[in-house]
Amino acid sequence: MSIYDTEGQDFSRRLLILGGLQGGLFLVLAGRLQFLQVARSDVYANLAEANRVNISQISAVRGRITDRSGKLLADNDRNLQIRLVPERVANMDATLNDLARLLNLSQAEIYEIRRKIRRVPSFKPVVVLEDLSWDAFSALNLNLPYLSGIEPLVGQKRVYPHAQSVAHLVGFVGTKTREDLQRVNDIVGDYVGRSGVERDFERDLRGTPGVRHVEVNAIGRTVRELQSEPGEKGRDLALSIDLDLQNFAAERMKGHSGSAMVMDIHNGEMVSMVSAPSFDLNKLSRGIQVEEWEQLIDHERKPLVNKAMRGLYAPGSTFKMLVALAALEDKLIDPEEKITCSGVYNFAREEFNCWTSKGHGPVNMIDALERSCDIYFYDLALRVGIDRIEAMARRFGFGKLTGIDLDGEKGGTVPGRDWKRANYDSGWRSGETIITAIGQGYLLATPLQLAVMTAALANGGKLLQPRITKANDTVEPVAELGLKPENMAVVQRGMYRSVNRPDGTAYASSLLIDGARMSGKTGTVQVRRISKDERLNGVIPNSKLDWHLRDHSLFVGYVPHNNPRFAISVVIEHGGGGAQVAAPIARDIMVQLLKNKNITAAPKLVAAKKVRAKS
Amino acid sequence: MSYQARSGRMGQLVSIGLLNMPLIIITLLLGLIGVMVLYSVAGGDFSPWAWRHASRLAVGLVLMYAIANLDLRTIFNFAYPIYGAIFLLLVAVQIFGDSGMGAQRWLDLGFVTVQPSEFMRFALIMALARYYHTLHRDDVSQPIGLLAPIALIGIPALMVFAQPDLGTALMLAASGVGVVFLAGVSMRYFIAGIALAIAAVPVVWNYLFEYQKERVLVFLDPERDPLGAGYHIIQSKIGIGSGGLFGKGIAQGTQSQLKFLPERHTDFVFAIYAEELGFIGSLMLIFLFVVMIFLMFTIAAQMRHRFSQLTIAGFAFALSIYVIVNLAMVMGLAPVVGVPLPFISYGGTSLLTFMVGLGVVLSVERQPMADLPK
Repeated sequence: MSIYDTEGQDFSRRLLILGGLQGGLFLVLAGRLQFLQVARSDVYANLAEANRVNISQISAVRGRITDRSGKLLADNDRNLQIRLVPERVANMDATLNDLARLLNLSQAEIYEIRRKIRRVPSFKPVVVLEDLSWDAFSALNLNLPYLSGIEPLVGQKRVYPHAQSVAHLVGFVGTKTREDLQRVNDIVGDYVGRSGVERDFERDLRGTPGVRHVEVNAIGRTVRELQSEPGEKGRDLALSIDLDLQNFAAERMKGHSGSAMVMDIHNGEMVSMVSAPSFDLNKLSRGIQVEEWEQLIDHERKPLVNKAMRGLYAPGSTFKMLVALAALEDKLIDPEEKITCSGVYNFAREEFNCWTSKGHGPVNMIDALERSCDIYFYDLALRVGIDRIEAMARRFGFGKLTGIDLDGEKGGTVPGRDWKRANYDSGWRSGETIITAIGQGYLLATPLQLAVMTAALANGGKLLQPRITKANDTVEPVAELGLKPENMAVVQRGMYRSVNRPDGTAYASSLLIDGARMSGKTGTVQVRRISKDERLNGVIPNSKLDWHLRDHSLFVGYVPHNNPRFAISVVIEHGGGGAQVAAPIARDIMVQLLKNKNITAAPKLVAAKKVRAKS
Repeated sequence: MSYQARSGRMGQLVSIGLLNMPLIIITLLLGLIGVMVLYSVAGGDFSPWAWRHASRLAVGLVLMYAIANLDLRTIFNFAYPIYGAIFLLLVAVQIFGDSGMGAQRWLDLGFVTVQPSEFMRFALIMALARYYHTLHRDDVSQPIGLLAPIALIGIPALMVFAQPDLGTALMLAASGVGVVFLAGVSMRYFIAGIALAIAAVPVVWNYLFEYQKERVLVFLDPERDPLGAGYHIIQSKIGIGSGGLFGKGIAQGTQSQLKFLPERHTDFVFAIYAEELGFIGSLMLIFLFVVMIFLMFTIAAQMRHRFSQLTIAGFAFALSIYVIVNLAMVMGLAPVVGVPLPFISYGGTSLLTFMVGLGVVLSVERQPMADLPK
């Protein structure tokens, strides 16, 4: 009996230990329950609410982009998509096989779909295919009952009716990425601008997204809608360009590499701005293959670059007007004074050649501009000096951004003593002044800067900020250059004769429409060094050189000669002589422009101040 | 109440009034709470779970009553054979078992699929109780006396672990060890055992499957994978916490109605209950379990036979660890190991085994004075 007793006591003690342990654990559980349900209840209540209510944004319809008269450059179109909710797919392999069979998808496309699916949690819908044809989409819809987890969806996509000619201006869109969300903090909608106006005017174009509060279950399926605020459509944006002129210019630039642009010299509107070669906006917006993208990037003629504002070139002879003005403003030469051109200019035991070895004989300033005599400007340069040339170049906007409302333009280089010291750590040499005077050497400018310069020459010395969006109000110039009218007249006279006199370098490109003539100046920029031997044996013509060694061909000008309204700047990379390539293109564009009543009949905005209607 | 009166006459069913009514009532209450929660989980619908749970509860009650009618000697005599039979079923699962959810747990007997590992728990308790009943007291703490219990616990536990079902294997082992502890085995072994278990953690870790490791890691840091494995824990805590003091009302829990909680009708059923009935309701549920366990412990303390003591206390202990581990898991205090909440979680095997176990307890409790061979 005693054995039983101790055994009984022993068992009771063990029961007590175990019971105490359990009791303690139950107390812990009760404490935890108190913490969750009483102490932190409000926190969890909020979390439950957040779980329940899914705030989704309704993407706003993206604003359209038009030309100056409302012709569509960027529009929205139906986008037939397929969404897949991985969690609701019973058998992924079978479903993807069915999709592949139904839509004729390749192995690579299926692989891509799998990759997309893996990137998101399984209850989130993934757009696996978009831009389907109507046939494919209806075939899919027909088979929907057999495809669990697959949802057809009609979304939106961006389309560009003129995908090539306006490519660099309008730009393209892409689906948003994590980085985009940081760039513009509340981006909503399928697309975000990736370049050009689409990117730079993103805030205007994208509109205000709507908000939809929906009660959802765990797999994200909507149970009911709680409340919604409709969004606001993005603003339509009118560009300053005229589509017809743009298309013509783009067509005319086919086969060339370079840029051509027309600018309104009163308000800075770019009536046309073409960079060639171009690319297809529609292709880039939908996403292109890596190889195709690399081809575009690596292409010798850089189709993706907007050369009009990102291409840097020595301005060549188009710079001579500024050297002439620098001399005239400080009365360093009488415009009638003649300098004799023998074809060669000797300075500091170096030979500087005129573009024609025959020489021009005695020429005054207007003759020198007309015939683009280099020797005259070599001599003039030494009288004026680099400091005055540099100052005049800067006054005309060289060396800094023009401020056009498109991102990514370049500022170029205006060389001078300080610049040389800073960049080469050596002093300025007079020989460098000589080549700077004909727009060669270190001097670099964008075709856009040349257009702004030409506009200022044509409008009597007002430096304008160019713009790609249509001007709605009076435009104030960036700077009144304050140049003497008689000096401006000399330069304008030279430019007039350059195009309209038989001796002028651009005489072959003269035009006459309704009494309007073109004034302008050619430029030919050497991109290689011509040795003395070559000069003796005859300079190799451009046609016999590799493309990348040929001269750049430039032309700047304005119309009409007597009452200027539009400036033009054409730069053809490795095109050859300015007179042979760039000038005829400029003439053709100007002819087209002068015939286009859409542009010429528009009121000059700077003259007619708009009065805002009061309501 | 005499022994004679509570044993009834030979060949006749005992009157229900002779059984331990408080235990039966609590069982019934818990089962009905299960029906209610499952009704709520289905969005206020008896299908698909509540109705079947209710019918299983009914079958369970009949089964419980039937087993409560068994003679103590019969139960005693069948303790080893039942253990042997279920052990064979476990082997069968290993060979023929149906893989559900990546683990071989179910055995399809044609008319019903069973999970032998669940039945093993009570077979093990009875077998150990039988063993210690016969074992001479002096041998209880001898190494020789420990060999059989280690084999009885270890072999099935390892087999279940290999299915793989870590949760059930741990529960099985813990239930067995509980009986060994109650049998009075020297504390030294338990202290050594705990030390050994801690030392074995890194070794066991290597043998765990990727998903099991992930569960432990996610338990330690649920935010590690908020949409995957951590999702259970996070959503479960949100469910419980958002219930507040009084709960959101039956079938009103957004977490459950909008299906944020996975496995909300099985292992995570308590989260739904807590969301809808709040702190007060949750405490009441826990209180029911505590009373049930307390009752069985006091009954066990009054028993005369070692077999009876250990069977009842062992069952109570097994029940308590199920409840504690499940609640701890649902409240984010333990890793997700796949342990159901007794009587409430949906699942036939779980409900039936606990009710069969209770039937044994009722039978044993009814016959404190029956003769058992030493």
